[in-house]
Amino acid sequence: MNWNRVGIGFAMTLRMLLRRQIVLLLLAVIPAVFLGIVKITSTDRPLPFRLASLTEETFITIPEAGINFVFFAVASVGFLLSFLALNIIQKDKHVTRRLILCGYSPNELLIAKLAALLVIMVLIALYVGLLTDQLYEVRHPAQFVLSLMSIGLVYGCYGLLVGSLIRGELEGILLIVLLVNIDVGWLQNPLFYEGAQNQVLIRYLPGYFPSQASVISAFTDYSSQTALGTSCLFGVGFLLLSLFIYYRTMKIHR
Amino acid sequence: MGLVLRAENLYKSFGKKKVLRGLSLQVEAGTLCGIVGENGSGKSTLLKILVGEWRPQQGLVRAADRLGYCPQRVALFPQLTVEEHFRYFGAAYRMSVAERDQRQAHLLEYFNFGKYLKDRVAHLSGGTAQKLNLSLALLHRPEVLVLDEPYSGFDWDTHQRFWAYVSQLREVGCAILVVSHFITEKHLFDRIYELKNGQLQ
Repeated sequence: MNWNRVGIGFAMTLRMLLRRQIVLLLLAVIPAVFLGIVKITSTDRPLPFRLASLTEETFITIPEAGINFVFFAVASVGFLLSFLALNIIQKDKHVTRRLILCGYSPNELLIAKLAALLVIMVLIALYVGLLTDQLYEVRHPAQFVLSLMSIGLVYGCYGLLVGSLIRGELEGILLIVLLVNIDVGWLQNPLFYEGAQNQVLIRYLPGYFPSQASVISAFTDYSSQTALGTSCLFGVGFLLLSLFIYYRTMKIHR
Repeated sequence: MGLVLRAENLYKSFGKKKVLRGLSLQVEAGTLCGIVGENGSGKSTLLKILVGEWRPQQGLVRAADRLGYCPQRVALFPQLTVEEHFRYFGAAYRMSVAERDQRQAHLLEYFNFGKYLKDRVAHLSGGTAQKLNLSLALLHRPEVLVLDEPYSGFDWDTHQRFWAYVSQLREVGCAILVVSHFITEKHLFDRIYELKNGQLQ
């Protein structure tokens, strides 16, 4: 691994991303639309639910709008990062392949893409965190932003994994829709989780710990460190798998 | 003259279709070789195996360390400028900044596209993009250069410059392998093979 080459790959990937102005605009607009719809449609009726990831049974009562703001903030970051990661890895794949034929290692390029993705992830998490905080005052804004970063990490790395595994763009999009939609877009909603059967299944999905971290930091004074740490493990797991598959599929035979 | 590219007994099939059947090829330093063939004859398959993109089912390929490859389809990043491409590919070739800058200046001047240095590829004409595509294969002074339909999209002046450059490369010992549907400047070539029935003839 040559870190100078990783640095150049990172700078080039970031430049390519930042020069796609419509993409940047949509990255800003989509969370605003998600949260705007919550603002228009949700009520302030108090709803009780149980914090699933805490060892002791803890029930809290939060206005419906508050729960929805947090849930949609998490969902929007998860969606955006997974699609962005898929795009970063699939777009111009034939040129990336040429760079590998010229001497780059597949893993140098994947790490460079991941680093660029992390920069965008931090910016999106900050933006969505601040926007959510403006609409509904979360208890611990810094921890809440960290929890958004954790969902970005988990689903960003999932996007990298899908992009490494699947060649076709549409197939990749559908695979992302399948998991992200079911997981952070549905099952991790605290209100759904509360009444769900087979909660064990939901606990093993990648969006569980980031969602729990966001709920804990937004509504309580409990520590979200365990949930954040476990989220990182999911992210690292997806990353290691994608490094392995990307190397296998992109390496040259000389 | 030493061998810079050697392929021995290559086999490659896609399902029941046998594309390469025991193909062998040797390219010596300083020579210009051509491979022609009809559509579907296996030219692209052979080329991908020679440059290391695909693995043959059987057989062996040995190539010099400094291999330059210019794909037929322009392989460039639309969002990056010409200058950024030189930087990116210079890093891939492990070139020093000074060496890359010197080669970049030479290629820009020779192929006459220096005025586009700061332009993004998305804004270049097809011919200029093809010049950059070729220049990136030449950047690291390759010992063997593999070109897939290299002159499609060139204007007449660039076409002439391209062949003059090929002659210069041969003088310094670079071997060139051109893969194409047809070859116009046949008199310049040391050998021209036809790829037929999975073998070179």
